[in-house]
Amino acid sequence: MADNKEVLDATAHEVWDVVMVGAGPAALSAAVYTTREDITTLLFEKGVIGGLAAITDWVDNYPGFPKGIAGLDLAENLRLQAERFGAVIELGEVLSIADKGDHKELDTTSGLIKARTVLIATGSDYKKIGVPGEEEYYARGVHYCATCDGAFYRDKRLVVVGGGNSAVQEAIFLTRFASHIDLLVRGDSFRASDVLVKELDKHKDKISVHMQHTTDEIVGKDNLVTHVVSTNKAIGEKVEFKTDGVFIFVGLSPNTAFLKDGKVELDEIGLVKTNHELETTIKGIYAAGDVRSGATMQIASATGEGATAALKIREYIDDQNMGA
Amino acid sequence: MAKDITIFTTNTCAYCVMVKKWLGAKGHNYQEVNLDQHPERQKEAFEVSGQLAVPVTVITKEDDSKEVVVGYNLAKLASAVS
Ligand SMILES: Cc1cc2nc3c(=O)[nH]c(=O)nc-3n(C[C@H](O)[C@H](O)[C@H](O)COP(=O)(O)OP(=O)(O)OC[C@H]3O[C@@H](n4cnc5c(N)ncnc54)[C@H](O)[C@@H]3O)c2cc1C
Repeated sequence: MADNKEVLDATAHEVWDVVMVGAGPAALSAAVYTTREDITTLLFEKGVIGGLAAITDWVDNYPGFPKGIAGLDLAENLRLQAERFGAVIELGEVLSIADKGDHKELDTTSGLIKARTVLIATGSDYKKIGVPGEEEYYARGVHYCATCDGAFYRDKRLVVVGGGNSAVQEAIFLTRFASHIDLLVRGDSFRASDVLVKELDKHKDKISVHMQHTTDEIVGKDNLVTHVVSTNKAIGEKVEFKTDGVFIFVGLSPNTAFLKDGKVELDEIGLVKTNHELETTIKGIYAAGDVRSGATMQIASATGEGATAALKIREYIDDQNMGA
Repeated sequence: MAKDITIFTTNTCAYCVMVKKWLGAKGHNYQEVNLDQHPERQKEAFEVSGQLAVPVTVITKEDDSKEVVVGYNLAKLASAVS
């Protein structure tokens, strides 16, 4: 296959066979499959190519990499593989999708785009906790991306909020910069995997775990964060944690606001409903990866779902070509 | 038009990769200051942006005025380099 292909953009085809919304692991994997079948494929990415995988420091559980792989490198490999077979990635955002029967129309920051099929693979974004100080000190002491902003906290104290995989993994990552980390967990146990919790144990010298501690307020002075006010729920007492910064990892919320017209059905938390063929409630519109209701929120499952969706998209296009 | 573009980055920052990719695609040259390699310049990045975050892109215009874009914000980058 040609590696030195001509550089195309979103205007290369009047009607694309498939437009993928997002260029995370799910869509990039789907694109490897569709492009190898000569299905013209355009991906829209409003953030980072590689999605959440690209901003993950290190991935230990993606098959095929016995020593693990840096998230940024995995993302770059996925991009190269999709582009090698002709996927076109447009840096821009899809704002809405309209069903026109035999084709779909996407309103995007690059104009109106037409497609025979659409794959929704928009994943999710970090949730905020909604406490005083969170908005005010955003990017000046309150952060949601350790690989982006961790380096500003060399030899400084940090508070990390959350008790799931992301919080534990990122707290461990941040030990390479911070002098000390207070990890505030609202519940009385971790929701993270056993492997990660064991790994956390190895960093006892730098990370103090505080179970049953809520995060009530982020307080600062002269534009910089100074401490976090918390409640120890076990004894019902307020506690203050001195800190230079706060990293928040309390879960994710689906990127489905652009489907607000309600035609593509969502579940109660806003994830896209699909049937077992990964088709949504609109014919010709598919969903894969973290954004799909029932997804298992892992890179390996996102890439697997991307492959499945691509094969179903091929069947749909074949049927359409045969006038079915 | 931009006379000079400087980006403050770190090794692990995926949004920094995107800013560089976007500037490259639009044909802009830039200088990169990697804060992992030059931690002594962190203060400068903070002073210019008021934020403890990367990427920080500093665009110096023909009239020597400066525009600073924090993060990967396509709309702001596009207007700042235009
Ligand atoms: C801190 C952290 C650590 C993790 N560690 C691991 C791990 O070790 N192993 C593992 O298997 N999984 C891990 N995960 C989970 C993994 O990253 C996700 O399951 C995976 O990235 C999901 O892929 P996706 O393609 O479905 O979605 P995403 O990776 O979220 O990609 C979706 C993309 O769509 C884009 N997008 C959204 N809306 C639009 C729009 N309207 N227009 C254009 N683009 C849009 C987004 O910008 C994003 O880039 C981790 C997650 C986090 C947050």
